[in-house]
Amino acid sequence: MWRGTAAARLLLRACASSPVLQQHTQQLLPPLQSACRPAILLPVTRWIQTKAALRSHGGGQLDEFGIATGAEREELEAKREGKKRFDLDPPRGPFGTHDAPAIVESHYDVRIVGCSGGVGEDEHDVTWFHLEKGKPYECPVCSQVFQLKVTGVGGQPGHDEHH
Amino acid sequence: MSVSQKHPYHLVDPSPWPLLGSLGALASTIGGVMYMHSFAEGGTLLSLGLGMILYTMFVWWRDVIRESTYEGHHTFVVQLGLRYGMILFIVSEVMSFLAFFWAFFHSSLAPTVEIGAIWPPKGIDVLNPWGIPFLNTLILLSSGAAVTWAHHAILAGSKKQAVYALVATRRPSDYRGNFLITSFFTGFQGMEYVEAPFTISDGIYGSTFFLATGFHGFHVIIGTIFLIICAIRQYLGHFTQTHHFGFEAAAWYRHFVDVVWLFLFVSIYWWGGN
Repeated sequence: MWRGTAAARLLLRACASSPVLQQHTQQLLPPLQSACRPAILLPVTRWIQTKAALRSHGGGQLDEFGIATGAEREELEAKREGKKRFDLDPPRGPFGTHDAPAIVESHYDVRIVGCSGGVGEDEHDVTWFHLEKGKPYECPVCSQVFQLKVTGVGGQPGHDEHH
Repeated sequence: MSVSQKHPYHLVDPSPWPLLGSLGALASTIGGVMYMHSFAEGGTLLSLGLGMILYTMFVWWRDVIRESTYEGHHTFVVQLGLRYGMILFIVSEVMSFLAFFWAFFHSSLAPTVEIGAIWPPKGIDVLNPWGIPFLNTLILLSSGAAVTWAHHAILAGSKKQAVYALVATRRPSDYRGNFLITSFFTGFQGMEYVEAPFTISDGIYGSTFFLATGFHGFHVIIGTIFLIICAIRQYLGHFTQTHHFGFEAAAWYRHFVDVVWLFLFVSIYWWGGN
């Protein structure tokens, strides 16, 4: 049934992408990868497998972040080093000029940027624009100059992610 | 394993569960109406719909556990969003109970001539609030304390001891304790329902009493199930000292249920019984 296959696919993908379960599926219950079981048994099998995994760990072999994995672990590890893995704060820096433009980092060749001007009285309503690689842009309100710095794969946005 | 996403948000993979849930809701509503109007197979359709809804809850939340605990998608901002979501959900439930309390006070503050212009209405044998209802109050309060105790144990990281304790002794003071206690509440309340001298069809008193306490009892059962799931997850080691939002959500829900009971006890049992 659709439910069965959808659940099986999700479980397989979860198993394949989760590092905790990957190392334990190989050691303990390899048949889980075959997805021959009926869907209703899958959650029970996974539960038993997890219990076995935790017991085999024997306690004390996990690091300070325990069973954290994926994006959460990357966030925690970066925080331990004093860095931010996902920085949502708007970038701040000296006012950009033609000689020393404000550098905006970007994963792709173009990024949407908003300029809010300088400090105090120089601040203005956010003006949005596309900042392209190799084309420094001047804010039409306060003339602050921005330049893009590609730190990722480049190219146009949205074509290299699996989403 | 490096994550390619540049943002901390969780873009969920396509899932069939929302569709299944809505089909279940459709079946439940149509089946419910059919059943109540004695159409053939109405009860069957209603049961099928409710079963679909329960199954949807199981698979949907199982997927949430997979995405968070096993795949690590729940970064700080994702957790923050879930916190807001749970709080807003509980607020919506409070609004729902407010409606039942409104109904109760509407009828009880100015009792009509048909019921004798008094509250409780003439002929209604009210339950003694200082009997089982008071015991239930103490039960819920101590269960709330047990939940807080469990939370501190999770924060302190004494989960390994707790795992051994759970396996070896099954003491009520471990993580299962609080849902055992709330089960006592449900048991006592059920007994009160069976033994009560009035029913839901006994005028406005019966209606307001059983609607308010009935929905409350339903929410107690939900909270108990939520805590059982948390006990299982704690046993499996899902919760860490710093990240255990599933448990916190269950604890918030438990406390909300407790607060609603306190209002129920004071307004309907105590004030409404004089």
